[in-house]
Amino acid sequence: MKLASNPFSKYFQLIRLFWSTAISAELEYRMNFIFSALTSLGGLAGSLFGLFLFYGQGYHFQGWSWEEALIVVGIFTFLKGFSTAFLAANLNRIVKHVERGTLDFVLLKPISSQFWLSFHSMSLWGLPDILFGLFIVLYAGIKLKLSWTSYLSGLIPILFGATILYSLWFILGATSVWFTRIYNITEVLKGLMDAGRFPMVAYPVSYQVFFTFIVPVAFLTTVPAEALLGRANPSWIIGSGCLAIALLWFSNQFWRFALRFYTSASS
Amino acid sequence: MYPVAIKEPGLKGTIEHFFKRTYKEIHAVQDVSFEIQPGEIVGFLGANGAGKTTTLKMLTGLIHPSAGSVTVAGHIPFRRESAFLRKITLVMGQKQQLIWDLPAMDSLQINAAVYGLSDRAAQARIDELADMLSLQGKLTQPVRKLSLGERMKAELLAALLHEPQVLFLDEPTLGLDVNAQVAVREFLREYNQRFNATILLTSHYMADITALCDRVLMIHQGKLIYDGSLDGLIEQFAPCREVHVELAYAYHKAKLQQYGDVQSIDGSSVRYLVKPELLTKTVSQLLADLEVVDLAVSDPPIEEIIGRVFQVGQVH
Amino acid sequence: MKRLYKIFQTLLSTYYAYMLEYRAELLLWALSGCLPIILMGVWTQAAQGGAFALTSAQFARYFLAIFLCRQLTVVWVIWEFEREIVEGKLAFRLLQPLDPVWHHVWSHIGERFARLPFIAVIIGLFILLYPSAFWIPDAGTLALFILVSICAFALQFLIQYTFAMFAFWTEKASAIQELWFLFHLFLSGSIAPLEVFPPGVRQVVEFLPFPYILHFPASILTGLPVDYLRSFLIMGSWAGIFYAINRYLWRKGLKQFSGMGA
Repeated sequence: MKLASNPFSKYFQLIRLFWSTAISAELEYRMNFIFSALTSLGGLAGSLFGLFLFYGQGYHFQGWSWEEALIVVGIFTFLKGFSTAFLAANLNRIVKHVERGTLDFVLLKPISSQFWLSFHSMSLWGLPDILFGLFIVLYAGIKLKLSWTSYLSGLIPILFGATILYSLWFILGATSVWFTRIYNITEVLKGLMDAGRFPMVAYPVSYQVFFTFIVPVAFLTTVPAEALLGRANPSWIIGSGCLAIALLWFSNQFWRFALRFYTSASS
Repeated sequence: MYPVAIKEPGLKGTIEHFFKRTYKEIHAVQDVSFEIQPGEIVGFLGANGAGKTTTLKMLTGLIHPSAGSVTVAGHIPFRRESAFLRKITLVMGQKQQLIWDLPAMDSLQINAAVYGLSDRAAQARIDELADMLSLQGKLTQPVRKLSLGERMKAELLAALLHEPQVLFLDEPTLGLDVNAQVAVREFLREYNQRFNATILLTSHYMADITALCDRVLMIHQGKLIYDGSLDGLIEQFAPCREVHVELAYAYHKAKLQQYGDVQSIDGSSVRYLVKPELLTKTVSQLLADLEVVDLAVSDPPIEEIIGRVFQVGQVH
Repeated sequence: MKRLYKIFQTLLSTYYAYMLEYRAELLLWALSGCLPIILMGVWTQAAQGGAFALTSAQFARYFLAIFLCRQLTVVWVIWEFEREIVEGKLAFRLLQPLDPVWHHVWSHIGERFARLPFIAVIIGLFILLYPSAFWIPDAGTLALFILVSICAFALQFLIQYTFAMFAFWTEKASAIQELWFLFHLFLSGSIAPLEVFPPGVRQVVEFLPFPYILHFPASILTGLPVDYLRSFLIMGSWAGIFYAINRYLWRKGLKQFSGMGA
């Protein structure tokens, strides 16, 4: 296949090539697909059960009805699928590249190394979570009689949330230049992301501070859900946008900085 | 015999493969019979996928032959009795058993314990082998810091700790530089002489085979096609001599092919493989028809002979 | 017997040294098990506003105990086993006169020791965060907790090692484990104590192996009421069932392994 000269369409074509090979590699394991669908379904049932334990006893998170809390669960599931599909495989690869010294090959390619590392792979196994997440949001939305403009206004903060998530993940991946074997660092992020299952008001104040200013989980699920419900404070959405752009910029700077310390492994 | 899934290349093939798999039954080896005496070093030759590794695995008891019988040192390998396992060892050039992030010494201690060696016996054995392998001082460094050659030698040490009588070596010199290859080779020869151990080895490097093995077994597409001395193999194929001609200028390939089996053309330099009975005729024709600057006749390199055996599939 | 003791001692000390090489990874791994701490936040907050079976302080203790139990019962043998089959390393292990499972068992135990300092640090943080909820269980409770934790680890290991046997037949046995893990996550008591489950659900769950890996030892440590006899009986039965399946699959699997070209 010939690559176009226009840089945008070149990158676009590359993504298509990357992903079609990634998909054919994954389809080799057909049992996995069934399992991942089952796993997503089970995970969703578990999330709902976890939420039900609170609401079933007549308790509710301050200011969140059952359906409203469901929207948070839906966005959480969606983002989990997004990170399985687009982030996990790619960024674990950075670690592998550094460890084996194969990052050399990536750095010698005439395209942005951050682009290569971020888009090289995609995993179909994230698809069920993405679909189930959307389904839950839609179900709760219909129950709450949300108009289509509500969904639209929720879309923007979700995009910001996804950008924040990507940037954080990439920054963590970049630290592998110093620490080499840190596959688990993404697991820590995944673990902390679990806090996004519930709206922020469900937590004590100390937790809320932590999840807003230190690990910005609040911007991943709670802010988009509030925007969708049409009651978000505009300053939160603007804050979310600023954070997304700042983190994206920082991830790129940080990657360049990290590369200065890259000493390609000798064997 | 084992089933292998077949996939067409490309995305379409992948999708079809996802829903419907075609399997093909493959016979890895068939009709392979031989006997090896204690203390022999036997080389195992064959192209990739010829069934060398399968045969080694059958001999170590990892694979159960679907038909026929295998006896090694008086045991039936597949039962994997403790007494049998203590007598044999398997080394694979492309696979590691040492723990990567720890010094080799730690892995050696595990092996010593597993094979029930006393601390003193293990230490004496380690010293002896480390001396033979010139690995002194290397065993306390993490394995990942060792060079490829040192790593292979450490692997050998780990595999030989329990004084096995029968050594199965699958490509023990794979990927090593020439010096390290020579070192491993010399060690194996010395080990064989000192402990009267039986060695069965496969290698892609003919130098390993010529240096070590008095006897070779050749496998082609799962069948044993030759069993005998290496010299005998060459003799049976020696009917070929190599004629190397330096010409004044480059001739057309079609023209050059008239005189015999062209092995290679490099500008004005051409190599022929010629049967001895045709040698005089070919040489005189070449000299008569072409403008020859230089001409030499020699035995072809051993790799080429073996390569031809693999192509033809049988020894004449 | 003496030989086995010697082997185990060597395996333990070697794998402990090995795990210490992975200090940074271990710290991150310990941190990634932070879900109970997150849930501790939600539940202590909820207990202040709603009528639940446990008080706010009890929730805090319970989730700290769950955190501890999770750290003590982490098992990853299926991924190791899968890799050994794919990379052909199982072949080497089979050629040694020792059942390959012992390598896994002792590397897990070695890792437990290497992880202890991190666990201590996190418990220290908890005391800073919830000074009022901190408690010191008496020696008898502690001894019982340790015993039950060992049993819980053994059961967890046995279950996962049984699933690992499927690696002989399928390329990705760990998918089974991932599915199982979901049930484990939601039914073992790590997202909420069984006390707040609807009574019907709780009755069913108590016959499954899940709660005995986390909820049972955590309840002992926090001083929640426990039916010892019944718990041990159910735990033992599941261990027996999985042991039988495991050995059966191991024998079948070895045959399959040798047929497939090792």
